[in-house]
Amino acid sequence: MHSKIRDAEIRALIRADDPWEPVGPTPMPTLMDLRNWDLRLLSTYEPFYAPFCDLCCLCTYGKCDLTEDRKGACGIDMASQQARWILICCLMGTAAHGAHGRHMIDYLIEKYGEDFPINLGTQVNVEAPIIRTVLGVKVETLRDLRTAIEYVEREFIHLVSATHTGQEGNYLDFESKAFHAGMLDHVALEAADIAQIAGFGYPTSVADTPLVDLGWGIMDSTKPTIVVVGHNAVTANAIIDYLREHDLYGKVEVGGICCTSHDVTRYASGAKVIGPLSQQRFFLKTGLADVVVTDEQCVLLDIPQMAKETGAAMIACSDKISYGLENASERPADEIVREVLEEQKQFLILDPQKAAEVVVRAALELAPKRSAQKQLLTEAEAAALAAKCRGTCELCNRTCNSLLPVAAAVHQAGQGNFTKLGEVFRRCHGCGRCEQECINQIPILRLMQAAAARDTFKMRSGRGPIHDVEIRKVGSPIVLGTIPGVVLFAGCSNFPQDIDDVAWLAEELARRKYIVNLSGCAAMAAAMKKDDEGRTIYEKYIPEFDAGCIVNVGSCVANCHVVGAAIKIANIFATLPNRANYELISDYILNRVGACGVVWGPYSQKALCIGTGAVRWGIPIVLGPHGSKYRRLYMSKKEMGDWTVMDGRTKQLVDTGEPTPEHMMVVTESKERALVTIIKQCFRRNDTPPGRAIKLNSYISAYKQVMGTLPDDLQNFVRTDKDIPIVYKREVVAYLKEVGWQPKPVLSLPTIIGTYETKVPIEATIK
Amino acid sequence: MASETMVMPYYKVNVLTGSKAAKVIDVPADGVAIINKAKNPLYVFGEEVIATPVGDRLLIDFALEIAKSRDIAICATAHVKKKMLELGVKPDSVYDIIEIVHFLKMKEWSGVRGKGFHDLVLFTGVRCDLAERGLATLKHFAPHLKTFAICRRSHPNADFAVPVLVKVDKWREYLEDMIRTLGATKPA
Repeated sequence: MHSKIRDAEIRALIRADDPWEPVGPTPMPTLMDLRNWDLRLLSTYEPFYAPFCDLCCLCTYGKCDLTEDRKGACGIDMASQQARWILICCLMGTAAHGAHGRHMIDYLIEKYGEDFPINLGTQVNVEAPIIRTVLGVKVETLRDLRTAIEYVEREFIHLVSATHTGQEGNYLDFESKAFHAGMLDHVALEAADIAQIAGFGYPTSVADTPLVDLGWGIMDSTKPTIVVVGHNAVTANAIIDYLREHDLYGKVEVGGICCTSHDVTRYASGAKVIGPLSQQRFFLKTGLADVVVTDEQCVLLDIPQMAKETGAAMIACSDKISYGLENASERPADEIVREVLEEQKQFLILDPQKAAEVVVRAALELAPKRSAQKQLLTEAEAAALAAKCRGTCELCNRTCNSLLPVAAAVHQAGQGNFTKLGEVFRRCHGCGRCEQECINQIPILRLMQAAAARDTFKMRSGRGPIHDVEIRKVGSPIVLGTIPGVVLFAGCSNFPQDIDDVAWLAEELARRKYIVNLSGCAAMAAAMKKDDEGRTIYEKYIPEFDAGCIVNVGSCVANCHVVGAAIKIANIFATLPNRANYELISDYILNRVGACGVVWGPYSQKALCIGTGAVRWGIPIVLGPHGSKYRRLYMSKKEMGDWTVMDGRTKQLVDTGEPTPEHMMVVTESKERALVTIIKQCFRRNDTPPGRAIKLNSYISAYKQVMGTLPDDLQNFVRTDKDIPIVYKREVVAYLKEVGWQPKPVLSLPTIIGTYETKVPIEATIK
Repeated sequence: MASETMVMPYYKVNVLTGSKAAKVIDVPADGVAIINKAKNPLYVFGEEVIATPVGDRLLIDFALEIAKSRDIAICATAHVKKKMLELGVKPDSVYDIIEIVHFLKMKEWSGVRGKGFHDLVLFTGVRCDLAERGLATLKHFAPHLKTFAICRRSHPNADFAVPVLVKVDKWREYLEDMIRTLGATKPA
């Protein structure tokens, strides 16, 4: 809700009189400001729901059965209940990133003051494209980042309120609010990553970042070994500082699991990446870590127990995950270290410097005493442990959410054959439920120590923002379509099949000249495949934001930079004003920037929220099979849908008859299907005929590779005969004739501005 | 038709939290009766049909026999089409699993052969967790059709489901029995 007082506040917060650009129509938008945009998107891309549960159990009127058009006691129907869950989950994701950003920014303001300047180097002038577009503020100091987080917090309370019983009751409005949560999430991501880049001196304005070591076998456990787990590297970086200050850097192993490992290797390339979330429990059960340090997000909740079982010390460092431990933040380090060593006590320490001292000193003391506990299981030992398994009860199989043949693998291991268990390891996300079910108490995850290949890999450390100069170079070919697309592989490691499928997808796209970006656990998984010469994709491909290149932007919070790149294409290349101009920029991305996000191993609410936020920006998302458990997708009716848009030049409505982008959030069943879907999701109405021909060339070649024929929906995407790739001309023309294809209009300025009620004038789309 | 509702599927991820569970089709002949009643059935093949052996044959061989017995339209999902073409069969339509479920929701959709909505949809070989989600969508949002999960892991969100058949031999027998009965009861 706007008021004169609030509008004046906003103008002050964004320094509206700063002359860098005129303030657009939606500075610091509220729940209602972008609702019409959302409803317009949702009219083409309807929510698709796959309920997890027939009931609603949220309030004490219930349980309420919502099957067969029944409504709950409050009046809610099944679609709205699903949409409410989606909003709740998106809010969880936004809260995780937002609280992370808030902690990071407060920590750095405490350290450097709120006037600490944000300088992202000589190659990055548009420093915070998301914050500029959403809030309308140009980020100059840490104070501005705090302003961004405070805006997120302000909106957040209204969104949470809407989820209460007796509040919002329409599924489309829940979806609009989920979009809002997703957009806030992107603001938080950008604030958090810019803060840590500026505050910790992470790489920026450089593409060729160091290649860092990756793989669980990379840890030299003959040294004192510290493992940091989570997503907030404040304490991990303090550990690096302590090691450097005490001439211990290189003498103590520091490895990370999940995104903290991305960020600690952005801080110190001598740190190591053990692997993605899926290998967290497996690695911690090896006992190779002398000290386990947890921060926040995607941290397993039984780490204290696992640490105890292996005789490792354990320190928690986030108020979000306190584990019931004593808060020792105010106690002297000497005392804490003594109790860690003598009493095996575990502590919560919220002071990063103190935690770093305790962790390093404990590791130094513990390492020489733990050599026996740092031995991996041999094949003979593993076979003996597995020998009781007859492979017939299948209780492990039945509880495996990855649907893996665990029983057969364990049974074969009991007979000394570890091949199948090695395969299971590569597909396992390490939940450990199979162990809980085993009637013989076989420690299945530990058995994997004998089966898991100890390969080591190279991953390029995260590079942060895409450079303005890169945008100037690729902006035109992306918009014209001659660079066929920008693809981001983001998110978690809940993969449907082999962990190296992400590398396969990334490489298939890079060799077709897509700009491939990776982040988070997906970026790690993509490093876990080598070619015949032993090179990973990070060693084979140039790390620039350009055609046929592969970029690791960094941790989950660095996802913002790929969305930011899409915004920069509109702002820098097309010179559209982005200040508080959300709809204008998103409309440009939807219609003209061939970008697609992929979450092949989705598990977290954060990934859902990032994806939902991307959709509001006009970026389609492709999910792996586990994404169906998010319960909601956004899908068009394809050729049955209404694809009328405005021709910005003539201001006439035109039925393009072309379903592009085809869906805004869709699950695919196999990696092969994902490949052709990703390629298709990069089509845009704005593609020039040569650009569309290049995109269709990719589509046809990939489709033939995995399906064996021309695409069955080719007629939907060929607008004129000039779109047809020369290589396939003869067979495509014959096919189009067979299916009765008719030409479609080609627009040079397609826009959905003007097709719904908005403050943005259609003239704004023309520059 | 003697049948009970689904209590526990093979995979715990697919355990029903709800009130409306599938009828278990213990006897293949009862499954055939369901197929025989359908006016415009569709058979959805998931990626596992081309990768899963059932005895010395692939699952797709059985699924194709079922489809051919009643000229049931086939939708090939994932990358199944390639294998089907190698076997000399052209699928009636090619969508990925979620896309076909999306279209099946729409009663006004013309169906894969242009004959209007499908009143019965058979599923085989779709990854079990994904299949269950799609079946939940159809259970709640497609009241105009029935679903029959021909899958030995069983699916509570379907209208009709094969019981859990842990042993492959039992699964093969079920499929063979169904095919035999389809042959014997072919309508004139």
